[in-house]
Amino acid sequence: MSVQAQQGIATLRIPEGLGGLLPALILIGLFFVVPVLALLLRSVTDPAPGLQNYAALLGDGTYARVFFNTFLVAAVVTIVTVLVAFPVAWMLAIMPPALASILFGIIILSMWTNLLTRTYAWMVLLQRTGVINRALIGAGIIDQPLPLINNLTGVTIGMVYIMLPFMILPLVGTLRAIDPMTLRAAALCGASPLAAFRRILLPLSLPGIAAGGLMVFVMSLGYFVTPALLGGTSNMMLAEMIAQMIQSMLNWGLGSAAAFILLVVTMALYALQLRLVGSKRAVGGA
Amino acid sequence: MTQAFLSIRKLRKAFGAFTAVHDVTLDIPKGEFLTFLGPSGSGKSTTLYAIAGFQDPTSGDVLLQGKSLLSIPSHKRNIGMVFQRYTLFPHLSVAENVAFPLRVRRRPDGEVKRKVADMLALVRLENFAERLPAALSGGQQQRVALARALAYDPPILLMDEPLSALDKKLREEIQAEIRRIHRETGVTILYVTHDQEEALHLSDRIALFRSGRIAQIGTGEDLYLRPANEFVAGFIGNSNFLAVEHLETENGAAVVRLADGSIVKGVKAADKLDRGQKARLMVRPEAFHLTGVPGTASLAVEIVDAAFFGDRRRVVARTASGDEIDVRPTSDAADPDGADAGSSRQIFFDPAAAFLFPA
Repeated sequence: MSVQAQQGIATLRIPEGLGGLLPALILIGLFFVVPVLALLLRSVTDPAPGLQNYAALLGDGTYARVFFNTFLVAAVVTIVTVLVAFPVAWMLAIMPPALASILFGIIILSMWTNLLTRTYAWMVLLQRTGVINRALIGAGIIDQPLPLINNLTGVTIGMVYIMLPFMILPLVGTLRAIDPMTLRAAALCGASPLAAFRRILLPLSLPGIAAGGLMVFVMSLGYFVTPALLGGTSNMMLAEMIAQMIQSMLNWGLGSAAAFILLVVTMALYALQLRLVGSKRAVGGA
Repeated sequence: MTQAFLSIRKLRKAFGAFTAVHDVTLDIPKGEFLTFLGPSGSGKSTTLYAIAGFQDPTSGDVLLQGKSLLSIPSHKRNIGMVFQRYTLFPHLSVAENVAFPLRVRRRPDGEVKRKVADMLALVRLENFAERLPAALSGGQQQRVALARALAYDPPILLMDEPLSALDKKLREEIQAEIRRIHRETGVTILYVTHDQEEALHLSDRIALFRSGRIAQIGTGEDLYLRPANEFVAGFIGNSNFLAVEHLETENGAAVVRLADGSIVKGVKAADKLDRGQKARLMVRPEAFHLTGVPGTASLAVEIVDAAFFGDRRRVVARTASGDEIDVRPTSDAADPDGADAGSSRQIFFDPAAAFLFPA
C-alpha cells in the first residue's frame, strides 16, 4: 500500500516539478550559461578563429608571471585567513550564544560595509606616511617606514581582512558541531592541549576549513579592487590583467581567454574539493 | 587504619555565592566501587569533576596514594573517565579510539595492538574494531568509551552517569557488564548517578549527596535499613512518613503515639528527641502487613485503592490524620483478601522496622 502511494506521489511530482522549474532554468540559461559560452566563443574567435589567444597567454613569460602571482596571492591569503580565522571561530563556537551573536553581528556588519571604503581605509593605514608607520616611528620601534603597501604584504593584509568572514562563518558551524566534552575526554586520555588539537580538533574541523578555504581561494583568484589598490605593479593579479586587456588594449579575445582559464581552474579546484569531501563522507557512513 | 587509596579532604567548590560542594571528606580504599548518588544539583558531579581536574576546587584537597592531584593538569592525572554523553572521537575507528590514550603516551605499536585487542575483548566488541562510532548503538559506544578509559590501566575510573542516555533494558545489561569488568580488573570506580536502583545494583558503598554535603555513606543495606536522617530514608526506596508524637525513650528505643491514639513501643530513633516533641515515623511500604502477629503495632486506616500483583499487593490507605500511605504487603496465603477500596480496617507493622525522625 505504502509502496503504491509512494509511486503515485513520485509519478505526480516529476513532471510537475520540471514544469515548475522551467522559469528558473530559462533564467539560469539566459544569464549564466549563455554568457559563459559567449565568453568561450569570443576567446577562440577574436580577433581571428583559432587558439592563438590561449597560446599567447600560456606561452608568454609575462602572462605566466601574472598567473603564478595570482595563485601565490590566493594561496597566501587563504593560509593566513585560515590561521587568523580558526582561533576567532573557536572562540565564537564556545562562548555564550548571546555574546557570540553580538560578535557575529559585528562581523556581518563589516561584510556589508562598502568594499572600496574598507580598501581605502587600509591604504590610509598602510601607506608610507600612514597611521601604522607613523605610530611605529613615533614609538621608536622603527626608523624607516615599513613597505606595507604596493606589494604582496599590502594585498595580503587587505584581502585577509575582507575574506575573514567567509572563513569564519563555515568554520564556526563545523566547530559548534564538535562536543567540547570530546576534548575533555581527550585530556583525561592523556592528550596534552597540543595533542588534543592536532589529533582531535583539527581533523574534526577539516570539513569547515576545506569549505571556507576553497571559497576564500576561489574568491581571491578573481579579486580586483583590493589587489589593484593595495598591490604593486610588479605583482599584478589576473583580474587586473583582464581589466587592462579589455580597457587599455581593447583586446576582448585575450581578456576572454584569460577569464576562461580562471573559470576552468576554479571549477577544477571545486571538483577536487567535492571529491575529497565526498570520499570522507563515504568513510563516515561506512 | 591503612592510608586511603583516594582521599577527598574538605573539598569545597563555590560558584559565586552558590556553594555546590560543602567540605566533603571521603576515603576510598583501593578496588572499591563507590557511587555518588543524589538528586541533580547535589554536588556529586562537581566532586567528580574536581577529581578529574575539570574544575578547581575553592578549597580542600584530593589525594591519590597520599599525593595531591590538584596541581596536576587533567592530561597528566592518568585517570580514566566515562562520560554521560557519547564522547568517542567520531573520526576514529573503535580500535583507534581505544588506542588513542596509548598513542598519546607513545607506547610501541605491538603493545598498542595487544592492549586494544584485550580491551575490546573485555567489553565484548572484538568484531567492531574497524567501525566508526556513528555505526554503533548507544550501548556499544559506552562500552567502547569504557574500553578507552581502561586501556592505560588507570588507578581510578570515574563514571559520570554513563547509562543515563540508554533505555532501561540496555541499562541493566551494561550494569551487569560494569560489575563484571570491575570484578575482572579490580579498578577503583567512582560512579555518579541519580538512579538509586543503579547505585544499589552496582556499588560496594554509596555516598548519598544532598545540597553539596554527604547525607550518609555506607552500603546499600546501611542506607536502606539504617538511614541516618529523614532525607536518606525518603530518598532510598519507598517510604511512608506518619505524623507522631514522641512520648519517651525506653530501653534505648522510642515510644510514640500515632494519630489514631495508639501507642507504639520499640521504635529506633536517629536523633535524641524531647518528650512531647512532634516527630515523623518512617515505615517502608513492604514493612506493613494486613494480618497482625504478636508484637506488631497496628494502625487504623481506610483503604483507598487495592490491587493484586501475584507476589505482592499494592494498597493505598488513608490514616486517621488524612495522610495517604503506600502499603505493599507480600501476598502470602495468610493475608485476607478483604482489603477492598472504601473499607476501614487495621494494618500492622513491626516497630523494629520503623524509624523516628524529628519533624
